[in-house]
Amino acid sequence: MRKIGSKPRKKTMVFWFILPAVLCMLLVHVIPILWGIYISFLELDLYTITRWTQAPFVWLENYRQIFTSKVAVGERFLRSIYTVLIYGLVTIPIGYLLGLLVALLLNREFLGRTLVRGLILLPYITPDSVAYNVWRFIFQARIGIVNKYLLGLGLIQEPLIWLVGDRALYAVIIASIWKGWPFACLILLAGLQGIDPQLYEAARIDGATGWQQFLHITFPLLKPVSKTLLMLNLIWNFHAFNQFYILLGADPGRAHVPSTFILQEAFKNLHYGLGSAMAVVLMIVILILTAVSFRLRRGSSYEG
Amino acid sequence: MKKMWRTGLLGLICLLVLMTSMATISAPVTITFWAMTNAPDEVHIPWVEGKAAEFERQTGIKVNFEQIGWDDAWQKITTAFVTGEGADVFQVGTTWNPQFAAAGGLEELNIAEFGGKDAFMKANFESTTYKGKCYGVPWFAETRALFYNVDMFNKAGVQPPKTHDELLKVSAKIVETFGEGSAIALAGTNAWDLLHNWSIILWANGGQLLTNDNKYAMFNNEAGVSAMKWYVDLVRKGYASKACAEYNQPQADAAFVNGNVAMCYMGPWNIANIELENPSLNYGVVEPPAGPKGKASFSGGSNLAILKASRNKEAAKAWIKFLLKTENMVEYTRDLTHMLPAQVEVFADPYYDSGVWKTFKTTLEYATAYPTLGVWGDIENAVQQEFAGVLAAYVNGTYDENTVKLYLNRAADKVNEALKREK
Repeated sequence: MRKIGSKPRKKTMVFWFILPAVLCMLLVHVIPILWGIYISFLELDLYTITRWTQAPFVWLENYRQIFTSKVAVGERFLRSIYTVLIYGLVTIPIGYLLGLLVALLLNREFLGRTLVRGLILLPYITPDSVAYNVWRFIFQARIGIVNKYLLGLGLIQEPLIWLVGDRALYAVIIASIWKGWPFACLILLAGLQGIDPQLYEAARIDGATGWQQFLHITFPLLKPVSKTLLMLNLIWNFHAFNQFYILLGADPGRAHVPSTFILQEAFKNLHYGLGSAMAVVLMIVILILTAVSFRLRRGSSYEG
Repeated sequence: MKKMWRTGLLGLICLLVLMTSMATISAPVTITFWAMTNAPDEVHIPWVEGKAAEFERQTGIKVNFEQIGWDDAWQKITTAFVTGEGADVFQVGTTWNPQFAAAGGLEELNIAEFGGKDAFMKANFESTTYKGKCYGVPWFAETRALFYNVDMFNKAGVQPPKTHDELLKVSAKIVETFGEGSAIALAGTNAWDLLHNWSIILWANGGQLLTNDNKYAMFNNEAGVSAMKWYVDLVRKGYASKACAEYNQPQADAAFVNGNVAMCYMGPWNIANIELENPSLNYGVVEPPAGPKGKASFSGGSNLAILKASRNKEAAKAWIKFLLKTENMVEYTRDLTHMLPAQVEVFADPYYDSGVWKTFKTTLEYATAYPTLGVWGDIENAVQQEFAGVLAAYVNGTYDENTVKLYLNRAADKVNEALKREK
């Protein structure tokens, strides 16, 4: 019997089958991306938008501006990167730890476990627009329940302003942790269930304490899952948009992150060239992270 | 067999081409009109569609009305510039008009065709111009005045303020009676129109936003600093609630409309809000209190403009003229939008001499429009951002004597940077 793929006619067939998908990808992904990269070298703004074919080619001028902290746009772009880094540095580890803790609890047998497993997913499955709008109310200075509780407990003397100024980022971080940890929990729980119970049994016979079991069995065996989870979170972190846009409005001021700032620069202020340059930088960052994550995942499959 | 297929297909294509070309020949002119949500949908859409039907009966031109939200409008219109499609005639905010003209998306108009520039309120006509040419026709106007809660004023035993100093004194009395933050509601860092509210104070202090030649920022001089300090002091002295710092305009309006706060700078469109949300509110409207250098207010509103790439410009002009007819303007402003007409003649209608409208009409007469610049959007953004910084500094507890000057200077630097890009 001959293998199916060895027939030359069948081989070309394969290409015909994937052609529609390739065309679609070209149309909706590749061409717009290349186009965006091209625009990032143009001085395409309010004055040139209707004659965009004649927009002057300015080489790396847009890139120079977005990385110069003395120029208004550069200052804000650099700050937006700083903001998103801080945001990720706090939300990702806390989300991970919370997820891990709950996953460990849910991995035990108890009555109503399935129900609880379903319930904890609620924040994750709530649409962003709904969840963050609710959080926006929760953080309102005058009517929000955060201030109500803080005042009630006597922790503060007068209402705090959450959605403006330095506290705005904290508000987004808190809301995002709430929204993000169930996903971590779900993935880690799946990882936990893949661990062979016999390992624990053997450990117990050898007299290992619960903590030792966690340290030497659970945590190491969760490594592949954890790596994937962290990389995913890192990638998502860099294009964080909904939480900032919904909680803080179209102009989050000093709490801009790259995505919200790009939207504002390109489409509100009509600086398409600058906006594209920033988008390209963001894309490169995300591409690097994705490449790293593929590497890690490949590495982890050998480990297992 | 194959040949039959081919001939059949060819025939079909020919037929289709013929049909479409025939359709274009015989079809009446259709124009697309974009307007924003200027009035509640239940009344706005039927009214415009009704008028469009009337217009079609008179001229044979079909108007395809599409209502777009203010949030999407900017993007939809700029997309239309690039693609040359979407709408033939559309509504633009007064501050957008020069920017769109600079972008080259709007058709230059001869205002004489629409009754000449003297037929319109001065500031509104100015907003349609860019580098001395006209790119729109004023449709309706808005200006801001001081709304006050009559019951609260009576209880506190005060009269509506006529000057900035009086406003502070009145506020102190009201706060004594009703508690901290009850005197006035202000829009804070989340307000897209923070600048509109502040510029009223700036102008009344004798300041101006830019130098006369529109080359440099001027709002960071002494008049600007004192105007900004006065504004922040309303919060610092407890006349306005600290929460105002994070308000957007609708939130500030709501605080007044709900009867929690005694004063608010608002526009005529808010009257519809009051009628809907709290019809029992006993309120009055007075001209914005005068500053050390006299009275001032902000002039805004919307114009009608024609897409440069439109293929039906004459039809679009006819539609604009139709909308601007006195009876249509009276209906549109009185019954639907609660805005003010931008046409001098329409003000002859007795309605605008009644009640609060007289106040708005008087205010509009001396209201000022912003400079018409292509980079205005950048300027507004820069100023907004740094102003928000002042309020944020106050919220964060880092506000001191120099804060205002510091942020105003920073805003001025950014504005100067933007002005250099003006072509």
